[in-house]
Amino acid sequence: MPIELNINGDTITLEIDPRTPLLDVLRDRQRLTGAKAVCREGFCGACTVHVDGQPVPSCLRPVGMLQGCRIVTVEGLAPSGTLNRVQQAFIDHDVVQCGMCFPGMVMTLTEFLDREPSPSRDQIKTALVGNICRCTGYERIIDAVLSMQTEAAK
Amino acid sequence: MDACHFRCAEGQAFEKGHFEREQTRTCALFDKTGAAESIDCSLFISGAAKMTAQNGFGQILSPLSVDEALAAMAHGAVPIAGATWVMRAPLRHEPLPGQLLSLSGLNDLHDLTIDTKCASLGAMTTHDKLAVALAPHADLSGLAAAAGNSANPGIRRVATLGGNIATSAFAASDLAPALLAADATVILATASGQKALPMETFLASRAGLGHGGLILRVEIPRSPRNAAHARLPMRKAGDYPCAIVSISVSVLAGMIADIRIAVGAVEPTARRWTALEDRLIGTAYDPARAEAEARKLTDGFTAREAIDAPGWYRLSVLPVLLRRAFLKLQAGV
Repeated sequence: MPIELNINGDTITLEIDPRTPLLDVLRDRQRLTGAKAVCREGFCGACTVHVDGQPVPSCLRPVGMLQGCRIVTVEGLAPSGTLNRVQQAFIDHDVVQCGMCFPGMVMTLTEFLDREPSPSRDQIKTALVGNICRCTGYERIIDAVLSMQTEAAK
Repeated sequence: MDACHFRCAEGQAFEKGHFEREQTRTCALFDKTGAAESIDCSLFISGAAKMTAQNGFGQILSPLSVDEALAAMAHGAVPIAGATWVMRAPLRHEPLPGQLLSLSGLNDLHDLTIDTKCASLGAMTTHDKLAVALAPHADLSGLAAAAGNSANPGIRRVATLGGNIATSAFAASDLAPALLAADATVILATASGQKALPMETFLASRAGLGHGGLILRVEIPRSPRNAAHARLPMRKAGDYPCAIVSISVSVLAGMIADIRIAVGAVEPTARRWTALEDRLIGTAYDPARAEAEARKLTDGFTAREAIDAPGWYRLSVLPVLLRRAFLKLQAGV
């Protein structure tokens, strides 16, 4: 029996084992490779996507439990060819290094800034404890987020 | 026969209950007593569903009632809540169970109510929701801290109370010691009716429960106490702790009238530190003294050796964690 998923506003139908992690469907079936397969145990945050607006590790979400949910990946955050404000801030501040963590960081921070538009440095760090940067580029990431408030205040 | 009604993960509803067994084409039709008979699945399932079985796909069943869930569990289906533990089975070199049983559709398991006498926490309550709901209550703040600091935010949005305490192989549960300190009772549904087990009894027996019980909720009696939770992860946050101390204490005129102390992550299963409780009851509320007394009593534990920390290290930090838990409450007691 097919499984129906809503990914980035598109409804797709798959003949697939319902226990398959969402991450594998995104990358292997849909070629949405923004979510990265790194630790596969929910600790690195590189595979973070939004499910019904909540940033969650897609490696631990079986697709059979996601029918009827709204799934958004980093590719679906902004209209094609455009960037959302977190993505733009990452570029403006030259944040991206190897590129493995930043899609997950963008997903986490996008939802976080919707909830907490003017966070402190510590609040940003707390929000990012589930997103590990192997290049250890945390400070520039946090600077980029803080700069968004400065830009908004101008 | 009063057949059960399931929705398969694939979204198909069946008028007559069925599920595949061990990924063969043999299904079991069963009634609410759990009695089953084997029949050919082609009698009841669609062509697409048969193809699923032939392809060796697993299944995620979605029961619509606790009775249906128990019946499926009796036939080997493994309940899942947030699924964060079971989805890591491949990393543990374990096969994923062929039949998973999603509890998402059991509405009662999502309930959370807190009144002056009792906090009733549905098994499907996620860690992040627990943390928010419990934080304003002094006697429940230890459990709130446990829920709000475990693992990382993404896991906390998905992982549930019931799934966490049901996982007997997970030694570093933050909730288990916090629930012991809170004097919680676990309410289970079984084939013979509901059962209420004190947290300590539940933890001791959960591995043997197998398919015999479904966690419905956890109940905590309210009382004028203060509670705190101290944990030591290898990183500052976003990690599992190598040792945990949870306390719930009643202090009168600066003296400890009653205290419950629970330790997690040190042994394979969380447990109360009753020897230390006995030593501290009736004494002044003094973090330094509590640490000193704890240091004399750590040999009562058989600490586990694991990749995150050796046993001796877990024991050596326990007294410090106890002091930190005391310090968290010092201003309010």
